[in-house]
Amino acid sequence: MSQNPDTLVQLQGVSKRFGSVVALDDLDIDIKAGEFVTFLGPSGCGKSTTLRILGGFEKPDTGRVILDGEDVTRLPPNKRKVNMVFQDYALFPHMSVAQNIDFGLELKGMSVSQIEARRQEVMSFLELDEFGSRYPDQLSGGQRQRVALARALAPDPALLLLDEPLGALDAKLRSQVQQELKAIQRRTNTTFFFVTHDQDEALTMSDRIVVMNGGKVEQDGTPEDLYLRPASRFVAEFIGETNLLNGHCLGMEGDEVVIDWLGTPVRARAGGLQPIKGSKVTCSLRLEKLGCVPSRSGSEMGIPAHIANKVFMGSRTAVTVSVDAAPEVLLRAYVDAEMAIGSVGDAVQIDWDSANLALLRQ
Amino acid sequence: MTGKTRILMSLIYAAFVVYVFVPLSMMVVMGFKDSKFIGFPIKSWTLDWYGRVFQDTEVMSVFGYSVLIAIGSTLVSLLIGTWIAVLLAGRKFFGRALIFSLTILPAVVPGIISAIAFRIYARLLGIEPGMMAVIWAHAVHNVPFVVLVIVARLSTMPTNYIEAARDLGADPLVAFTRVTLPYLRPAMIGAGIFCLLLSFDDFVRSYFLGGYQPTLPVLIFSKLRSGMSPEINAISTIVIVLTAVLGVWAERSMRRMNGASR
Repeated sequence: MSQNPDTLVQLQGVSKRFGSVVALDDLDIDIKAGEFVTFLGPSGCGKSTTLRILGGFEKPDTGRVILDGEDVTRLPPNKRKVNMVFQDYALFPHMSVAQNIDFGLELKGMSVSQIEARRQEVMSFLELDEFGSRYPDQLSGGQRQRVALARALAPDPALLLLDEPLGALDAKLRSQVQQELKAIQRRTNTTFFFVTHDQDEALTMSDRIVVMNGGKVEQDGTPEDLYLRPASRFVAEFIGETNLLNGHCLGMEGDEVVIDWLGTPVRARAGGLQPIKGSKVTCSLRLEKLGCVPSRSGSEMGIPAHIANKVFMGSRTAVTVSVDAAPEVLLRAYVDAEMAIGSVGDAVQIDWDSANLALLRQ
Repeated sequence: MTGKTRILMSLIYAAFVVYVFVPLSMMVVMGFKDSKFIGFPIKSWTLDWYGRVFQDTEVMSVFGYSVLIAIGSTLVSLLIGTWIAVLLAGRKFFGRALIFSLTILPAVVPGIISAIAFRIYARLLGIEPGMMAVIWAHAVHNVPFVVLVIVARLSTMPTNYIEAARDLGADPLVAFTRVTLPYLRPAMIGAGIFCLLLSFDDFVRSYFLGGYQPTLPVLIFSKLRSGMSPEINAISTIVIVLTAVLGVWAERSMRRMNGASR
């Protein structure tokens, strides 16, 4: 088994079913040391099962889990250099913050003075210094979240698992904690395996996002890749908002595909896909990438359309347009709030850069 | 609720309180009467009867004996009851419902029947009537209460406490002793006090299995046969006060466990 020296975790052909439900279907994933990887998907997509298999709380039906070159597939949680931040933190209610943090250190067999030193280090790192003698029920949600993080980081795990740790926080605190988490990950250089169903969390924090659906990987890439170049319809719809353009393939031109869309030939980025000529294809176009300007008489730029709806959203205006060639086809665009786009029923021209029209896997 | 029904309900409640507490307070009052004859009118008051109780070596030693039995049987009940509760609260297995019903059964079998059954069984096993036999019978009777309380407490414990402990390096035994047991502590205290009171209060099993050494209720019963004396009122009053204090404390600690978990 050849292995990249940077690779910390390998999941090889991991499958898991619960009764008749397939939670994971032959998953192969490598995680590099120091990476912030997010598993993103709706509930039941297999992201939590992957996390629990990495933590040792579930055994895969088939496949292997390699951690730091060692096969840990059958190893119980207490024998793994993996720690977890639980969804509702699971802080021990009968122990103070300091005792919670010490728990893992004591079980590592560290001496009292080592434990003391490490606890102080972690607590000052997470700005918990004055909370050592408090009990979990005397802390706010954000403080508890930091204690849970401190407890999991204290034993210096090779891999830190985070199971939707921001779910219990209110929206304002959440965005602040997102930044903190990312900063902590960078400073500790610990590999983070983060599980969430929240696309914003995934996009803002991750080095790499793995989108899961039905126990399989839909797409694996950087946040930019996923947002700007979604590979499948599922990813395009799950992350951000998008317009889906359905058409027929006319042929390939370099790494672009030419599509007959409502009688107009348009180009889209193929992204390695090679659809058969004449086959049905779907492309994704992000709302902010769809240009929309008022029609001027005699202008030949873009595709003619009419405004079907308009919603002022503060920083921008969301415009829904109905394409003249097929009035039942509605596309949405974001335009500058101060642009005089016109009112409902006015004619507009729409266009886009072919690089932003991404061909989706069927 | 209308005003009228509210008043009616209050009256019914007040009547109930009188009904329950008048006999008890009669008994307490008579313990302070300076006369051997129980009844009104009371001409003068005294603490003599209490003095006699504390000087009566028989009463005092029997009291100590009862406490010893209560503590012994409570410890056994807690050990076995917690053990069964943890077994039952785990994952479902074949026969779980059966074990649960059998565990609860001793609590609902009439005392006289279980006492006779114990007496016969003890003879078969060659256990002499006496302290061990009483402790054994009390423990069996009290285990169901421990199981019910501990199972209820365990069902409120998030499973991820154990997972968090395992994740931080604890093997199953360490996770149990350092996380599960402390979580169960308030429930065990509450159940323990309840067991102490049940055992201390028990007459039937103590009478059948006690041999020649009586527990306090058995002693009071035998004293009654030689006639009602205010000394018995004094003993009873002391017992009421002690059990009430313990009972209230137990009830409070049980209530606290539903709130804060510490």
